[in-house]
Amino acid sequence: MNPLMSLQDLRVEFDTRHGRVTALSGVSLDVMPGETLGIVGESGCGKSITALAMMGLIPNPPGHLTEGTITFDGEDITRAPARRMRQLRGGEIAMIFQEPMTSLNPVFTVGDQIAESILLHQDISRAEADKQVVELLETVGIPEPAARARTYPHQLSGGMRQRVMIAMAISCRPKLLIADEPTTALDVTVQAQIFDLMRDIQQKFGVAIVLITHDMGAIAEMTDRVAVMYAGRVIEQGLSDQILDDPLHPYTRGLIGCIPVLGRAAASADRLPPLAEIPGVVPPLHLLGKGCAFADRCALADDRCRADRPLLSAAGHGHPVACHHAGVPA
Amino acid sequence: MNQPLLSARDLEVSFEIGRKGLFGQPRLLRAVRGVDFDLMPGRTLGLVGESGSGKTTTAMAAIRLTPPTGGSVTFDGDDLLTLTPEAMRAHRRHLQVIFQDPYSSLNPRERVGAIVREPLDLMDVGDPAGRDARVRELFSLVGLRPDQMALFPHQFSGGQRQRISIARALATNPRLIVCDEPVSALDVAIQAQILNLLRRLQDEFGLSYLFISHDLGVVQFICDDIAVMYLGEIVEYADRPTLFSKPRHPYTAVLLEAAPSLARRKSAGYRRAGMVKGDLPSPMNLPKGCAFASRCPNAQARCREEAPALRDLGESRVACHFPLG
Amino acid sequence: MTDTPAPRIEAVSPLREAWQQFLRNKPAVAGLVLLVAIVAFVLYGRYFVDADPYRIVWAPLSAPGANEAVPLGTDFLGRDMLVLLLKGGAPTIAVGLSAALLTVIIGISVGALAGYFGGWIDDLLMRFTEFFQVLPALLFAMVLVTLFAPSLVTISFAIGIVSWPATARLTRAEFLRIRELEYVTAARSIGAGNQRIIWKVILPNALPPLIVSAALTVGVAILFEAGLSFLGLGDPNTISWGLMIGQNRSFLLEAWWPVAIPGMAIFLTVFAVSLVGDGLNDAFNPKLRSR
Repeated sequence: MNPLMSLQDLRVEFDTRHGRVTALSGVSLDVMPGETLGIVGESGCGKSITALAMMGLIPNPPGHLTEGTITFDGEDITRAPARRMRQLRGGEIAMIFQEPMTSLNPVFTVGDQIAESILLHQDISRAEADKQVVELLETVGIPEPAARARTYPHQLSGGMRQRVMIAMAISCRPKLLIADEPTTALDVTVQAQIFDLMRDIQQKFGVAIVLITHDMGAIAEMTDRVAVMYAGRVIEQGLSDQILDDPLHPYTRGLIGCIPVLGRAAASADRLPPLAEIPGVVPPLHLLGKGCAFADRCALADDRCRADRPLLSAAGHGHPVACHHAGVPA
Repeated sequence: MNQPLLSARDLEVSFEIGRKGLFGQPRLLRAVRGVDFDLMPGRTLGLVGESGSGKTTTAMAAIRLTPPTGGSVTFDGDDLLTLTPEAMRAHRRHLQVIFQDPYSSLNPRERVGAIVREPLDLMDVGDPAGRDARVRELFSLVGLRPDQMALFPHQFSGGQRQRISIARALATNPRLIVCDEPVSALDVAIQAQILNLLRRLQDEFGLSYLFISHDLGVVQFICDDIAVMYLGEIVEYADRPTLFSKPRHPYTAVLLEAAPSLARRKSAGYRRAGMVKGDLPSPMNLPKGCAFASRCPNAQARCREEAPALRDLGESRVACHFPLG
Repeated sequence: MTDTPAPRIEAVSPLREAWQQFLRNKPAVAGLVLLVAIVAFVLYGRYFVDADPYRIVWAPLSAPGANEAVPLGTDFLGRDMLVLLLKGGAPTIAVGLSAALLTVIIGISVGALAGYFGGWIDDLLMRFTEFFQVLPALLFAMVLVTLFAPSLVTISFAIGIVSWPATARLTRAEFLRIRELEYVTAARSIGAGNQRIIWKVILPNALPPLIVSAALTVGVAILFEAGLSFLGLGDPNTISWGLMIGQNRSFLLEAWWPVAIPGMAIFLTVFAVSLVGDGLNDAFNPKLRSR
């Protein structure tokens, strides 16, 4: 099967007051039709920039896509003209964002806004579009869809607004849905509802999903495959089960180990042992050296790590990982 | 059992939000409705709930950073709510706060050394020379370098800012620290650092924490006792082992179900069972019966008619007509 | 346990950062240079041209350049325009500055108390502010000046009284926003009182837009003084640029320079102040700072 979206060796640079920094480097990712790919990492790791690159939305200036290719459905869209990208976005590639309030226009009803995005991409009458709006709102589980279509964004709760965003995103039957931290701003119970909805939508329409998140729980529950990013590079990639059960990179292990997950230990009256920690913070992009970007925070780091950046390779392991000491217990 | 350090009885907080017409009755939002809790010295009490549950308002009202509209709060034998403003300010050295947002909780125009020193100056703790030494000590205590004291908040990362917040809260050797979602704005890796730090400091100084969180994973790690809140009321109150092994309120069960876990796998065809539907009812327009009835998977007719009171079920206290087994 | 020793960063205060940003703004720097030049001209000009401004030196209304001794010509009484311009600058700028100062003091006090305390204090102060806001500014200033004799002090006072409501509203809005931020609650939680929170915690953070508005008020006040003088309500005993315009306006059809030259001086000063004000606005806007 051919990948639906494919990034090859992508390099993105940004002009900052520290000079030109490399925000993404050598990023290669494939999204297969109908699957969910997770991209996980801490803030500043490049996961959101990767999402922007997929949609051709790297802000320029200050951003520059300097190397690599982006292919969507067999078409090279790396340097596609703005018109073609507009056609794709909201059409075959749709997206939902972290903060649904700021992504909706407060002065129009939600029905108007969804109809607008339908009319932009389909040659139908306004009445037909309005009919589709009600169907869409019903699909995303909004009660009384006809009445809700006439309300303004501020009259809806955060969870409802995210449902509206999803309705808008699927209005043109996209092949790819890019979701950038779609539930971070929502309460846990509502978050679970949105995840359920996204899974339903995927089954119903066969849409491929790219889920950008910092939450390993969301990765477990939502994704088939996952790419772990650190300091602008993919450092480990594989089936979600492989990554969660057998993480090879010390950073991935740290990320999984430091989450206070619920477990049987809670039932004991004793204090729980301290959480595993990744010391330090993500290094600023302008201070990245020649070696492995994680070396300063890594218990396994040696001189080789600091001098020579490890490349992503599956040799000797089950899945690709970029570490000289992959799989060595810390 | 010894005396609780902080205890609230029947705590109420209402906000006036506009009125109908110019001379109409002011409309009241009842953010906290009759909350009781006891925080034992050296322990951590978690207030858990989603946004709108009133957990932050409860904690802030308990230490009079939000004015309560009813009830009483006792701190170490003193009734906090009847103290004069002057006496309350003197008490503040024992009651400190760590806020949620490390980006808005530090004054951007002050150097971080001065931020940590400020409580010492305001409370007149120690002599001026000793205060400098104390600030240095606090910086090392929370894992910052004393040479960073001259910097401004915007020059630090989120995790480092939270360390500064913690240093400020510790400055006056308080007995109680209210932690208002102290890690929810941080990246997971940093979150673990801060949680471990908070627990180390608690052991070292015998601190008591009133810990506000929406994340049951975090609560399980740091809290000894837990009060689950829903729409301004406590719906379940128990110690940690009891709450996590035997949740009695359906809402607690739902929260546990939604808590972070690596065990639910898409590959295994994971589906959520018995998830709640819909959103929180409006606090302006509370239902007659149980506030959770509209979303509860086990709600029955009685639930919609009659509001359940918090009652003792042995190990835990639960406000539900039909507690889980 | 501890964070990795990040590379040492210098302590850059937000003010210093704003100054660096200001220096990157070419028009603002040009405005500042122009402003400094005008102030230097007004303050130190007398070391080069020192004469009694009231002395009649030449035929009235002679054009600039007609006589080498009076390079900028003479006014309707035959007084030296250059000397008048030098002497008139200081009172003009002084009126601008003192009116702006008064505006800022009243505006910030009223706005800070209204925004910080809210409730009935806010209602009361805002109705009071609105009362001053709906008064026609020029008319009200004219009444004040006529009632209390047209001296520079009265004029500055009158301008201050009619201009503070805008500053008060701006201050109130900033206070309303900032008082909800957690560092204000944090200050309260460590026992800071209202006075300290208003003046030491909120005000420094509310200052950037207020500094900009104060700079622009200086320009407005200078224009206001010129307007009053033009209408014959200036202080007749003190030479100012506005007074020069007012006294010579009846001869405008015969001679343009006695009006145009002080007019140009006012224009350049106000222009320079606006450029600096805009520059400050950008300098304090964190969104414009490259990160």
